[in-house]
Amino acid sequence: MSTTNPEAAVRPLPKLSLDTWAVLIALLAGALIRFGLIPRVPW
Amino acid sequence: MADAIALPQNPPLSLSTKFVRIIPGIALLAVIGIAGKLLEKNINLFAKSHHWTIPNIEYVLWAILIGLSISNVFGLAEVFQPGVATYEFWLKAGIVLLGARFLLDDVWKLGGVSLLLVAIEITGSLAFMTLLGRLFGLRPKLTTLLAVGSAVCGVSAIIATKGAIDADDEDSSYAIAAILALGAIALFTFPLVGHYLHLSDHAYGVWAGLAVDNTAEAAAAGALYSDAAAKLAVLTKTCRNALIGFIVLAYAIYWAGRGQAHAVTHKAAFLWQKFPKFVLGFLVISLLATVGFFTKDQNAALANLSRWAFLLTFAGVGLRANFREMRKQGLRPFVVGFVGEIAIALFTLVLVIAAGKLFGF
Repeated sequence: MSTTNPEAAVRPLPKLSLDTWAVLIALLAGALIRFGLIPRVPW
Repeated sequence: MADAIALPQNPPLSLSTKFVRIIPGIALLAVIGIAGKLLEKNINLFAKSHHWTIPNIEYVLWAILIGLSISNVFGLAEVFQPGVATYEFWLKAGIVLLGARFLLDDVWKLGGVSLLLVAIEITGSLAFMTLLGRLFGLRPKLTTLLAVGSAVCGVSAIIATKGAIDADDEDSSYAIAAILALGAIALFTFPLVGHYLHLSDHAYGVWAGLAVDNTAEAAAAGALYSDAAAKLAVLTKTCRNALIGFIVLAYAIYWAGRGQAHAVTHKAAFLWQKFPKFVLGFLVISLLATVGFFTKDQNAALANLSRWAFLLTFAGVGLRANFREMRKQGLRPFVVGFVGEIAIALFTLVLVIAAGKLFGF
């Protein structure tokens, strides 16, 4: 019989900091550019 | 660094509601930034068609001036505030993407020199600001906040230190107002001094990165001088940001030792929590660019994306500076900050000129 820890089950996901979001979104943008989904970015 | 985009927390909002609420502010940042770009381009075209010779006023300055005018003449309507607060997010994403413009060799070489200068700057600035705070009879924790704000990382450092040393809200709002006002002044004075002294892009960029407190203002002060200066300003400022955890930890231990702050139990976790993660992102993109993960065109696309992110940031810098609100905070912290900032600017200028002679920039 499996046992579950009710506290662990309701524990919310850790809140990501602004820094971490910025890094993730920038890396995602880098991946999209690298794999051709964003072919060019004009300035 | 603020820990999260400043959205109201009570009552809790769904992710989609939060997203909808930030759209008007982000649109305003984009409109101001693009207006800045159009003004730069069209004024130059107009001058050229009339055979006038006028100095080029960069889009950065236009974006900041438009933002300042809106904020100080009309005030920022509430509907725009959540989105405008995202300018810190764009700043950090822009810095990560800027990594594509640095090969890792450059980061080690330039970053190594910058780190050395940053260490000297932080030591000198902390000591001087602490002394100045005592001379002016400021409250000790307000002095600590002003010292950290001037020496390390502006508003972000003040927010990080406030929590660590249990400073009260009044002290931190005084310190933040002083640092923001001084950042706005630095934006307009640093390029003038740089041009007057004929500083190279490299020397000016390092100086702006060492002496301007907020990362957004340091990047803007660099961009107002030249693109190359902006790169160096951001790299040097990033070195300063990387040290924030150590400085905040040292102050937390100091105040805990005096029984006026809670003790730090897990020092490594504390350091990781305070460490600006965008520094790691910057290094990852720089590493990928160095090993040839991106083609030349892709590198150019990443660099342009970084420019767009900075464009939104610069618009936010102007919109955030509300001089009426700053004036309400009183004169004494501002005077201490002002005297301290002038001393730090002069000290770092001498440091950069000496380092330029030593390291050849």
